[in-house]
Amino acid sequence: MVASNQPPELEDVPDAIVDEAVKGFPVVWLLPLVALLVGGWLYYKTLSEKGPAITISFETAEGIEAGKTQIKFRDVSFGLVDDVDIADDLKTVVLTATMEAGTAQYLTDASRFWVVKPRVGASGVTGLGTLLSGAYIAFEPNTTGKKQKSFVGLEKPPIVSQDKEGSRYRLRTETLGSLSVGAPVYFRQFDIGEVTDYQLAADYSYVDVGIFVQSPYDDYVRERTHFWNVGGISMSMDASGVKVEMESLVALLSGGIAFETLPEFAGSPAASEGAVFPLYKNRAESLARPITEVISYALKFTGTVRGLSIGAPVEYRGIRVGTVKNIMLGKDPQHEGVVSPVVVMDIEPQRIMGYRDVDDSDPSRREARALETRPQQRIAFLVEKGLRARLQTGSLVTGQLFVDLDIFPDAEPATVITGGLYPEIPTLPNSLQGIIASVNKILDKIEQSNLEETLTNLNVLMVSTSSLMSSLERDAPALLKEMGTTLQTANGTLAALEATVSADGEIGNQLQDALKEFGAAARSIRVMAEYLERHPEAMLKGKSGNR
Amino acid sequence: MRARDVGLASCHSCGLLLHLPGAGHTHCPRCGSAMHFRKVNSISTTWAFLLAAMIAYVPANLYPVMTVVSFGKAQSDTIMSGVIYLFLHGDWPLALIVFVASVLVPLLKMCALVYLLISVQRKSHLRKHQRTRLYRIVELVGRWSMVDIFVVALLAALVNVGAIATIEPGVGAIAFTSVVILTIFAATNFDPRLIWDR
Repeated sequence: MVASNQPPELEDVPDAIVDEAVKGFPVVWLLPLVALLVGGWLYYKTLSEKGPAITISFETAEGIEAGKTQIKFRDVSFGLVDDVDIADDLKTVVLTATMEAGTAQYLTDASRFWVVKPRVGASGVTGLGTLLSGAYIAFEPNTTGKKQKSFVGLEKPPIVSQDKEGSRYRLRTETLGSLSVGAPVYFRQFDIGEVTDYQLAADYSYVDVGIFVQSPYDDYVRERTHFWNVGGISMSMDASGVKVEMESLVALLSGGIAFETLPEFAGSPAASEGAVFPLYKNRAESLARPITEVISYALKFTGTVRGLSIGAPVEYRGIRVGTVKNIMLGKDPQHEGVVSPVVVMDIEPQRIMGYRDVDDSDPSRREARALETRPQQRIAFLVEKGLRARLQTGSLVTGQLFVDLDIFPDAEPATVITGGLYPEIPTLPNSLQGIIASVNKILDKIEQSNLEETLTNLNVLMVSTSSLMSSLERDAPALLKEMGTTLQTANGTLAALEATVSADGEIGNQLQDALKEFGAAARSIRVMAEYLERHPEAMLKGKSGNR
Repeated sequence: MRARDVGLASCHSCGLLLHLPGAGHTHCPRCGSAMHFRKVNSISTTWAFLLAAMIAYVPANLYPVMTVVSFGKAQSDTIMSGVIYLFLHGDWPLALIVFVASVLVPLLKMCALVYLLISVQRKSHLRKHQRTRLYRIVELVGRWSMVDIFVVALLAALVNVGAIATIEPGVGAIAFTSVVILTIFAATNFDPRLIWDR
């Protein structure tokens, strides 16, 4: 037996105490379970924290680094660029980015992405902060629109962020002028908006400019608001002189738009979002009343029309009533086969204030109303009263002319000449031409007067004078001789006179004696006067020298 | 001849030699410790720890071990990205050390344990010496994998300069710690005597 071979000590080895059997699940197997659970939870957490993966395409990936460039909205990270890749067509760069969890709702077709990097523009420097931190992709979330995961990034930052309150309008203009994207929109020289975009119309007939006006200023944009270009320097030279206008330095660099609502249109309804307005070249043009009705008249001038330009004003006693539409040559009605300047002008009856405001109900005013409301009749009436057109110098500096209408009651009676292409208003020569005409008239008169006769008379006068002179010449020597004798006699007389009067002469001596006597008398009078002064009593008592 | 063959076993705690019945739970009459011929449920427990370690190994390598926040810019690194970073920057010896200590060793350890467990379960008679040596290496090397964790823990505690630089341990560090600890437990729970049991 094996046991008997064992050393005896082993027999004394005590038995282990048998426990009650404990059966159950080995606790240690909970560990892998826990590990699984924790691992699974981590996985789930990561997945749930991981937002949607999106792709954004840009023209270049300048400044963008995979794994570093963030996608930010209001400087809060919304995602990270994982990968930068070139599109299959090699035309764009495709960025793959993982967005934060919960951003899926902001990723719609209206969301916008653009790269923020330092940019220098006309209106300032932006993105300087990215010099240190590196470029990032700005993201503008938008919950409206269709959800999508593939985006085309903007190459330039949008001018107006979508959450900015305000309104957008479209302006139509013939030429872009100096406008650029980001150019300011002014209201009373307040910078309250920006040019967001511009493009040519589909048929190239106009330029379509988009502007954004911030709230609450968009309230000032009414249906009858005027917009005009304030970009650069506008310089104009017309009958009123030279005008130079500049809105601001920024507008000078990047162009600009200003708008204004005239007080009379302030009550018109606010313009709706996206309303279309015309964009005028300048304020004056924009504020000109919209002229819808014109009546054209021809004016035939006999003199020169140099200095008159198309677009020059037509004024009635200084108030603008129309515009020169065309200047050409036409037949001179007075001289067969001669051409003379013909000016076509547009009378703009709408400029004549109040012509519509005539009370309709008063029958006595009906005729007047007919005249008021029918400009042709009114002008015909005025021409009969003496309305004439003439050219006037608007500015002495520029020499620009304008058409002046006025009533000359003394003018030769005339009527509106009809039958031509346009009815014709009789004209008068302009003031300078008038002066010239007057001078001519004076010269004519001089010419017509009896100049020859006068000259003959003058000649006769000259002849008689000449004979007179010759007779004088004949008698002169005798006369001179006589004159010599007379002078000699006069000389002798004078010498005798001199001898008599001189100091040694008879008269002289007597005179000297008389003067001596006179002197002595004067002396004694002086002595007496002195004595009397000292002794006034001598007058009564006599000289008292003896006492 | 094994002690087990004569029904003898010494108490793990007090060393008292006892006769053990073939089956059932027993305990030492002197100190009260549980008595076994072999570690109880050695294979099953080792498997449990090993499986848990293998599960934890996945997040340990996928999640960042630490996050360096420098000047507001956070950079998270997993073990492998750190290795690649070091390698790309020319520190290939360091990269090698990190790779071996943090990636290769835990992996090989787990492979070794799996091999040991399967071979024991299949009652293989092959290369018993080598297998025993393998076990000794596994047991010896295991704790050195904790170096990584110490580094991360130290850095997280030391580098905390506010905005300039802050180091935060990541989920991967916890998972990696779990891997190391679980493999140590698995190795401890494996009874090398089973290799020699017939």
